[in-house]
Amino acid sequence: METGQFVQQLAKRDGASDGSVLRANVGRITVTRAASQAFFRVLKEDFGFDHCSLISAVDNQTGFELVYHFSIIDMEGQMLEVHVELPRDTPTIDSITHLWGGADWHEREAYDLMGIYFIGHPDLKRVLLPDGFAGHPLRKDYVYEIHEEEW
Amino acid sequence: MAEMWIHMGPQHPMTHGLWNLRIKVDGETITDAEPELGYLHRSVEKIGERRKYFMNTTLTDRLCYASAMTWTHCYCLTAEELMGVEVPPRAKYIRTVVLELQRIASHLMWLASYLPDLGLITGFLYGMRDREMFLNLLEIPSGGRLLYNYVKIGGVKRDLPPGFDAKAERVMQTLERRLKEYEDLYDNSKIFRMRTDDVGCYSASDAINWGITGPNLRSAGVPFDLRQADSYDAYPELDFTPVTTSAGNGRSDCFSRYRQRIDEMYQSMDLVRQALVKMPEGKVMAGSVPVRARGEAFRRTEDSRGEALMYLIGDGTDRPYRWKIRSPMFTTVSAAPHFLKGYKVADVPAIMGSIDMCIGETDK
Repeated sequence: METGQFVQQLAKRDGASDGSVLRANVGRITVTRAASQAFFRVLKEDFGFDHCSLISAVDNQTGFELVYHFSIIDMEGQMLEVHVELPRDTPTIDSITHLWGGADWHEREAYDLMGIYFIGHPDLKRVLLPDGFAGHPLRKDYVYEIHEEEW
Repeated sequence: MAEMWIHMGPQHPMTHGLWNLRIKVDGETITDAEPELGYLHRSVEKIGERRKYFMNTTLTDRLCYASAMTWTHCYCLTAEELMGVEVPPRAKYIRTVVLELQRIASHLMWLASYLPDLGLITGFLYGMRDREMFLNLLEIPSGGRLLYNYVKIGGVKRDLPPGFDAKAERVMQTLERRLKEYEDLYDNSKIFRMRTDDVGCYSASDAINWGITGPNLRSAGVPFDLRQADSYDAYPELDFTPVTTSAGNGRSDCFSRYRQRIDEMYQSMDLVRQALVKMPEGKVMAGSVPVRARGEAFRRTEDSRGEALMYLIGDGTDRPYRWKIRSPMFTTVSAAPHFLKGYKVADVPAIMGSIDMCIGETDK
């Protein structure tokens, strides 16, 4: 399927907006948090995106944004970038580990470094920083010149 | 029998870097496992937010000391996409040459570290000896032995000197001759085969679901190579098809992962030859490279160990607002409990060695 075609089809779904084509074989779309779970299921089951490349958490100061990169394992290399906005005071979203096993540690990393909570994740704990570390250092308001504890 | 947890690492001959593998055993059989990372975490992404775009190439070199060139290249490719910089054709070809030479050096490093895990100390000496030839080759244009800082945003630091292709050809002929020797030595070694055949198996569909990429995925018979699927630099103009191996029925085992990397070295040498022949004349650096950038961009490349992806957000200043790195090994290691289960404790070095871990990029 052409990139423009499937982005158009996906943009018609509830909660999806801003469908666009970034470059050859790469699409971009924005989804609301409420609609994201149903959207991801369709992406995996109907559109064949079988590989979760990356989950990036971005601190936009006003809120958080999750950027998912999905791709298809074939020689065409179709990709889709999905943006989901999260409010600053409740940075939670449903986990996608039951759809893509590879999302497991990406979600743990987003929790560890940015403090995003993934509901339904089998084992949401820190992955790169030690247990008991205070705060989430990739947030823009994290003050890292002051270390109260030695690590 | 009572089950118990054993720590393999952080200081263990099997780990090749600083990480910890906790395994739960029932007698000699592994029933569960849990990798623990973070011993080498330097928070490259956060440091990068405080540095200018062009400064970050020193950081990306240090992501993986065995494959520094490919990581810097991935960063530069993303930054070029973000800034809209067009790389001159000659620079694209030079990049292709050094990337493939780096891939061979990285695979030889893997060979040198994997074989002593299985008791073949000779393999360590042979692998390191051959890797040194490729490090010497990469030293010619870059001046560095491990950390090159050679690929720059907009091109490469300097041109290849005259006579480089003759030197490269001589080195590659030597390696070809020796690789055949190694194949005779290892493929026919009964001990090596006993320790790798049907050990650490996973199916292609599982590997895709777990996010395993690169040689570890192709060794299950999946012809997926980002050098073609999401092509960059001179790769679209070169003639090649992805190399795959398989342990039968779309499965990957330790031996097929070993074969995969040996076959990829032959392919890389072929690509270097093609690129050196087709290389056009001209500049090696774009005329002007912006200092500031706004917007967002991502690119993915076929790293020596799998799919490397970098995502950059610029807010109009000279430093990235957010820089996110996808490390192929980070995801592959997360799947380790799945393909360790059911095997014996003695198989752990064979299995974990065969996926070619690099803890520098995994911990970031």
